[in-house]
Amino acid sequence: MSALADLVTRLRSLVFRRREERELEEELRFHVDMEAERLRRAGLNDAEARRRGAITLGGVERTKEDVRDARGTRLFEELVRDLSFAVRTLARGPGFAIVVILTLAIGIGGTTAVFSAVDAVLLQPLPYQQPGRMVRLYQYFTGYPDRNFVTPLHYLAYRQQLSSFDHIAAALTYDAVGKDIRSSDHPERIRILPVSADYFDVVRVQPAIGRAFGTDEENGAPSVILSHDLFERVFHGNASAVGRTLLMSGEPYTIVGVMPAGYVDPLADGVTAWVPLDLRPGLDAENANNHYLDVIGRLRPGISLARAQSELDAVGARFARQYTGARDIHAILYPLKDDVVGAANRSLELMLGAVGLVLLLVCVNVATLLLVRGSARTHEFALRVALGAGRARVLRQLFAESVVLALAGDIAGLVVARLAMSAIVALGAGSVPRLTSLSVEPRVLGFSLLIATASAVLFGFAPALRAARAQPVDALRAEGRALSGLKSHGRLRTNLVIAQVALAFVLGVGAGLLLISFPRLRSLDLGVKTNNARVFELHLPDARYDSTARARFYDDIAGRLERLPGVRAAGGISKIPASGSYHNWGTQPLTGPMVGRKDAGVGGEQRVVSGDYFRAAGIPILEGRAFDARDAAGTPLRVVVSVSAAARLFPGVDAIGQRLRTGGHDWEVIGVVPDVAVDVEGRIAAYVYHAHAQFAGDRNWSLTQIVSTTGRPEALLPIIRRTVAAMDPQLVVYRAMTLNDAIGQGASQQKFTLTVLGTFALVALGLAALGIFGALSYGVKLRSREFGVRMALGAERGAIQRLVLRQGLAVSLTGVGIGLAGAIAFSRVMASVVFHVRPLDPFVLAGAAAFIVAIGALAASVPAHRATSVDPRSILQ
Amino acid sequence: MELVQGTLEMLVLKTLALEPMHGWGIAQRIERMSNDVFLVTQGSLYPALVRMKRRGWVTSAWRTTENKRRARYYELTALGKRQFEVERASWQRASSAVNDILRARLVPGTA
Repeated sequence: MSALADLVTRLRSLVFRRREERELEEELRFHVDMEAERLRRAGLNDAEARRRGAITLGGVERTKEDVRDARGTRLFEELVRDLSFAVRTLARGPGFAIVVILTLAIGIGGTTAVFSAVDAVLLQPLPYQQPGRMVRLYQYFTGYPDRNFVTPLHYLAYRQQLSSFDHIAAALTYDAVGKDIRSSDHPERIRILPVSADYFDVVRVQPAIGRAFGTDEENGAPSVILSHDLFERVFHGNASAVGRTLLMSGEPYTIVGVMPAGYVDPLADGVTAWVPLDLRPGLDAENANNHYLDVIGRLRPGISLARAQSELDAVGARFARQYTGARDIHAILYPLKDDVVGAANRSLELMLGAVGLVLLLVCVNVATLLLVRGSARTHEFALRVALGAGRARVLRQLFAESVVLALAGDIAGLVVARLAMSAIVALGAGSVPRLTSLSVEPRVLGFSLLIATASAVLFGFAPALRAARAQPVDALRAEGRALSGLKSHGRLRTNLVIAQVALAFVLGVGAGLLLISFPRLRSLDLGVKTNNARVFELHLPDARYDSTARARFYDDIAGRLERLPGVRAAGGISKIPASGSYHNWGTQPLTGPMVGRKDAGVGGEQRVVSGDYFRAAGIPILEGRAFDARDAAGTPLRVVVSVSAAARLFPGVDAIGQRLRTGGHDWEVIGVVPDVAVDVEGRIAAYVYHAHAQFAGDRNWSLTQIVSTTGRPEALLPIIRRTVAAMDPQLVVYRAMTLNDAIGQGASQQKFTLTVLGTFALVALGLAALGIFGALSYGVKLRSREFGVRMALGAERGAIQRLVLRQGLAVSLTGVGIGLAGAIAFSRVMASVVFHVRPLDPFVLAGAAAFIVAIGALAASVPAHRATSVDPRSILQ
Repeated sequence: MELVQGTLEMLVLKTLALEPMHGWGIAQRIERMSNDVFLVTQGSLYPALVRMKRRGWVTSAWRTTENKRRARYYELTALGKRQFEVERASWQRASSAVNDILRARLVPGTA
């Protein structure tokens, strides 16, 4: 009750402060008047009454103060006064305040935004039950670093023999597995994923309607499970669709289930339907060499990854004794999360490092600036204390200034965080998984705010504490020498500046590496001419196209497209260059010097081409010839190989006429072409090209058509659609885009990382430069008086300038030296993000060092010059 | 004579227990009731009144005096009345104890 009364009274005093004051004034005046009246009535003469009145009156102000104290609002009132005074003080020299606030804003905002991205993509678990138990399995050829998919033979053995797993499932994630369906009267192409029966047990999501697949359907049975989205679109959510038939690429499939809304496949993007995988090839020993299955598993509770791995090794070894084709193969398990996040992982780790570095730099920057400013004001504080201001008062004043700075920085930081977040989302949309769900992570924001605010308040306060403790007389006597008088203070400041320089150097190296690797990524020679080329995919349904028809169709369309005006060449390929490894099959030489050697053979990227693919992609023929009409079905099997393939299969001899074995057949080499990149990072792999006409009988691989033009390729699309429709109106021209874009899709994630990191590093570098300049130059400015004394004692202007410059350089160079150690420590992480640049590129290191030393020199010499060019007498007076 | 530390509030409570009064009146009453032994300065009176208001012992309101002047009158709340009783009881206990001590003489055989 009384606590409430207290609160109400205090609040009223605060809110109606002016009225309270007025009333107090009136009450006290009433008191004085009554007292004077009483005294007069008691017979005192007027003079004495007035005198007594004056004494009483003198007490009025005192009383007022006491009453104000008694109200219990004093602290708050003074805080408001301190804060507004602080704002005015800071506004007098806005440069300092702006630098500090900007530093805090970018520190808080930038780190929060970037860390939130890391959190959303890297740290948040997959949207499945117990995602930490999910693993992915890859196979490796002994001695080769490339990951391979899993053969059906192995998969079936693993599923049968491994006891470390609850379930272990396979899926065929090859891009080309798409089917045409008819939705609301126009053909549509959907992405389907063939999966083994236990696939949905591994992800632990079962169909919302209907059932999952049974093992008896693992023979490619025509059953299909729809995504909720497709179910809504085609069947308008009508549950009776289950059990009905869906025509996919002309073949009837029975709908057996519908997945829950929002279910996202962990292995392949944009999958809208699942069909049973045909595992019968796994029973055929020939397939010991055929790696095409994606395998994921769910570990049994209590089984560690290492234990599962050792069981896997044992099963693999036993298996190798059974099948000669499986001899040099081993399998490795990876946590699924690491794998799905994949390449983003490393770059995001690097971002995390950069974020921490910047936050540290921000704290050091702010601390240095505040310390420098604080020591510059030692004299001012001493003067105030000498003039009667309480020490507590001065301390509170400085505290208020720090709080104002920190608060302004925090608010600006929130704004920057918001802006940076939207920029990152816009930048990474489509190329970085799970970025769209990005939002400001509150814990991170809290952390950044706390760290930045604490450092601002703490370091703003520290010099005040020191100054207030000093005897004002000493401080005043020391006057301009106040700075040098506080030796330890100066040492702390120097160390902070060195730390700043070191951090800035590491950032500078990072920014430099990113800067020079960006153009290198863009100008990377992928081995193909990507300008003026258009690509699109065609998928020929098995139901209407047998192998002969497919061969004829692909030849036919290439010919028709080439006859169009403005078209230089046209041809198809099973997987365009620089879009990743695909159909990587073991390839062995049958002739030449490597025959019989244990290390003979190579993982060859198998590509099926049609039409005039090489000319369309701008790949010249180095030796021999390209495919032509001679390489029809039924003729001897022939391949064209890349330079790397030729060098590894047939070193030192002419590759033309040599023979090799891959995919269960023997082939003759008829041509050699230059290497093309297998990914956007420019990695080179051995390529083996097959003619579609010879290959079509083996498998139905849909081909991406490339049309190169003499002019701009954009206008060509309607003509292409008409040409295709004229041949078969039911075909879908799928994923039509320029070759640049098709390859750029893979590059976009790297571009995202580079852009975010590069921008971040540049901004941070700018901040660092600003901080170093501020701290150094302010420090020099403070010594103006010392320089005046020296010059008055006969020191030469130039000598003083050189001295200051030397000291500035010493600080900068020490910082750079420490920073170099930091850059070396960081180089391992850095190496994974930059392209064709050594992480300790001497050019970049020198550049960063030069940049920072230049800033240091500038920061020392400008104020030194200014200080020494004035008349020493004016400084000393 | 200045008031004993801490007794001012009790005396104010006592004064207001008689009737609502303004600050100057309170001071006059206390002086008069103590036969001019105690002097209540405004410097101690008004802060004390604010404190008592915060504790919820008194409330205040502006009224007109018999001389047609506006003055702030203070009035005891129920809480204030209870507080007065508490303070009076403890004061009486304390003062009688002090008096006992002052009256005491040395009796042989006791401590």
